Amino acid sequence: MSWLRRFGRFLYDFLVGDAWELFVGPLVVLAVAWLLLQMGMAAVFVGLLLFVGVLVVAGVNVVLSLRSSA
Amino acid sequence: MNNLLVTALPAFLASLVEAVEALTIVLAVGVTRQWRSAIYGVIAGLAVLAVIVAVFGTAIVLFVPIGALRLLIGGLLLIYGLQWTTKAILRAAGAKAKHDEERIYAEEVGRLREEPPVPETGLDGVAFLVAFKGVLLEGLEVAFIVITFGSNSGQLMPAALGAALAVVLVVAVGIVVHRPLSRVPENGLKYAVGIMLITFGTFWAGEGVGIEWPTGDLTLILLLIGYASAGLAAIWAARTALIARRGPQVPAQAG
Repeated sequence: MSWLRRFGRFLYDFLVGDAWELFVGPLVVLAVAWLLLQMGMAAVFVGLLLFVGVLVVAGVNVVLSLRSSA
Repeated sequence: MNNLLVTALPAFLASLVEAVEALTIVLAVGVTRQWRSAIYGVIAGLAVLAVIVAVFGTAIVLFVPIGALRLLIGGLLLIYGLQWTTKAILRAAGAKAKHDEERIYAEEVGRLREEPPVPETGLDGVAFLVAFKGVLLEGLEVAFIVITFGSNSGQLMPAALGAALAVVLVVAVGIVVHRPLSRVPENGLKYAVGIMLITFGTFWAGEGVGIEWPTGDLTLILLLIGYASAGLAAIWAARTALIARRGPQVPAQAG
């Protein structure tokens, strides 16, 4: 059981690490993109929003990191 | 040919960065403990990585449908690319300490000198394990990139060869200079690889959720330019914010 826990912790560190927003953010952005496509929005706009969404996620992480390094 | 390059280049660059980090550990082990055991540890670590790439890469290609594969791999590349890029941005801006191979080498040597003495005959377990762990842990990130890039484009071999070429290059330079490779611009390489991962992640995950990119493969170039420009702007903005907060003593960060 302990190796399973260790593996779980390793996987968590590998994917999430110390910035949960970089794990959750892309998933939320992709879910929103999928929803917008299902609602009939044009692919070109959804693609643009996907690009902007990724930039926002990165921006949030940089701002949070700068604040915590203060 | 272009596809081969697109698959091999990110794996090559990522492998270059991680191989430099692994080399620092192996050099410290070899110099302080025993070269023979350290080399066995390196070989064992590389063998395990090769098995991981072969097993997971093949399994993913064979058993995961292409639509789900693009979404899964694109999503993972986005997550991983964002981690690499944001860390590189913060390091370049001076908000986070850069990897200092000379310092890591000195710390590793100091730590290894506190271990029990090297046995007079036979293999040194400490040297083997530390070298094995160093290669395996640093290499896992490369294995992940090789598997994701290789399996999605159906070209696992070029991605693996790109990574292997970087390892050979770093080992060759390491043998010649016999000291940690502190002049490799690790942060610049991590930034470049991170931007590539985000670019391909956006493209493939976008296709996975159902986006048909109107500009086709040209979208990759547009995304790359967009993300790289935004990243450079973020470095400038973060650096300006730090200077405003701490004064102009924020160190100049190159590479």
